[in-house]
Amino acid sequence: MDAKAVEVLAREAGLSRALDKFPDDVAAAAAQAADLARRLGPPADPLAEPWPPMKVGAPR
Amino acid sequence: MSDPSLLSAVEAARAMAAGKLSPVDLLDAYLARIDRHEAALNVFIALDRDAARTAARAAEAELRAGRRRGPLHGLPIGIKDIVDVAGLRTTCHSRLRLDAPPTIEDAVCVAALRGAGGLVVGKLATHEFAIGGPSFDLPFPPARNPWNRDHHPGGSSSGSGAGLAAGFFPLAVGTDTGGSVRNPASACGVVGLKPTYGLVSRRGVQPLSFTLDHVGPMARTVADCALMLQVMAAHDPADPGSAPAPRVDYARSLESGVRGLRIGVVRHFHDADHVAHPGVAAALDEVVRTLAAEGAQVADIRLPPLARFATVNRVILMAEAFAIHGNDLRERPEGFCQSSRRRMLVGAFVGGADYVQANRQRLELMVAVDAALAEVDVLLCASSMDPPCRIDDAGEVERTYPRQARTPFNVTGHPALAMMSGLSRDGLPLSVQFAGRNFDEATVLRVARAWERASGIDRKRPALAA
Repeated sequence: MDAKAVEVLAREAGLSRALDKFPDDVAAAAAQAADLARRLGPPADPLAEPWPPMKVGAPR
Repeated sequence: MSDPSLLSAVEAARAMAAGKLSPVDLLDAYLARIDRHEAALNVFIALDRDAARTAARAAEAELRAGRRRGPLHGLPIGIKDIVDVAGLRTTCHSRLRLDAPPTIEDAVCVAALRGAGGLVVGKLATHEFAIGGPSFDLPFPPARNPWNRDHHPGGSSSGSGAGLAAGFFPLAVGTDTGGSVRNPASACGVVGLKPTYGLVSRRGVQPLSFTLDHVGPMARTVADCALMLQVMAAHDPADPGSAPAPRVDYARSLESGVRGLRIGVVRHFHDADHVAHPGVAAALDEVVRTLAAEGAQVADIRLPPLARFATVNRVILMAEAFAIHGNDLRERPEGFCQSSRRRMLVGAFVGGADYVQANRQRLELMVAVDAALAEVDVLLCASSMDPPCRIDDAGEVERTYPRQARTPFNVTGHPALAMMSGLSRDGLPLSVQFAGRNFDEATVLRVARAWERASGIDRKRPALAA
């Protein structure tokens, strides 16, 4: 992720103050998130649902 | 009695119940040790000496009157400072919480421990909000390892592990989101159990990740850990993650040995996924040999690679931590220490789809671990891949921090216990981990006790606490 993209995303997330005071921390965090996303990928089963599943409460 | 602080919790409780030991004398023995060594170890955020003395005197009066509140009557307990204790502030080891007012109510687990007769001695050091590393830019210094104070005691339940190893109290509460009960247990040579997700209430505990947070007992022996879990495990309808699990007597099968039990060794965790320090690998082999000699059926077994568990853990943890701490990160990022700020900011850049993918993968990983545990009764694997590193070596802390096999059981929720496997050439604790089926802590504790009994590992103490 390039620096401009990081800045846009950080400001959209409301992190202007962090970006101004700690730009290296913000850049490092963005790089880590990008690395995690690269490693993650989809589950083996394309129909796999997330855990925990949606549940409704007991009927009233 | 020479020094009652050297007794295990089970032994001390028995002596107090028999009138052979006074809760006041027991507390005083611990306070004397704290007075001698706390300045070197930084275990406490707040030592509540007066309240502990008042509670010890009350416990003594109750015993004289023939009343015993429960199995922990008169036993001192340390509480990680992200867990609420009525009358004390919960600082989370953070500058951001220095002005927090004292908490009104005990966390549910603390109330249960007090209800069973436990005495709270104080609030213990942690990593900031249970996520930063050992940091020197915080209002309280980091806890030190009693085996060698130049080394990291593990985290984030650092004060819990260090205080137990130093003999400051016999029982401590820790929390575990990516291994934070088991890491200090590993580094400090004590016993730490992350129970099954939902077995112990999280109400009154500062959350880090709703999906992955667990509260667990830490102690110097396996039996003490079982004693504490017995009190902490209870369904809490007000904790949405709490499970209505059946009541179990955790001490009942502790001495049953491992003959006939099937133990699966997850060897690829430490010889392929991460290549462990040779001392760690040799100590694990010794645990395997010992349990086989005790009659267990031991065979290698495979789980998905550690990297997959670690990635799922990180994505969920970072996204949820940012959801919890986002406002402070936006409005006063300077209030955090650098390591927790860097870690928690990651969540701002984790996409919604990535969070969902991680939770889809989590179900697959849960199924994989359940399948392995259909073949064996307990899994045996590494906890830390390295001996504890120097606390002032930021590069080594950063390098060794992810070299561990604890996150799989945060992702899947299975119970997992870490304890000492031996000592390194430098005299630092090495570790082993046992994991079991959901809500089968009893078998995990049984195997851990078999190793402890056969090896005598619980008799090893740092010179400081001898």
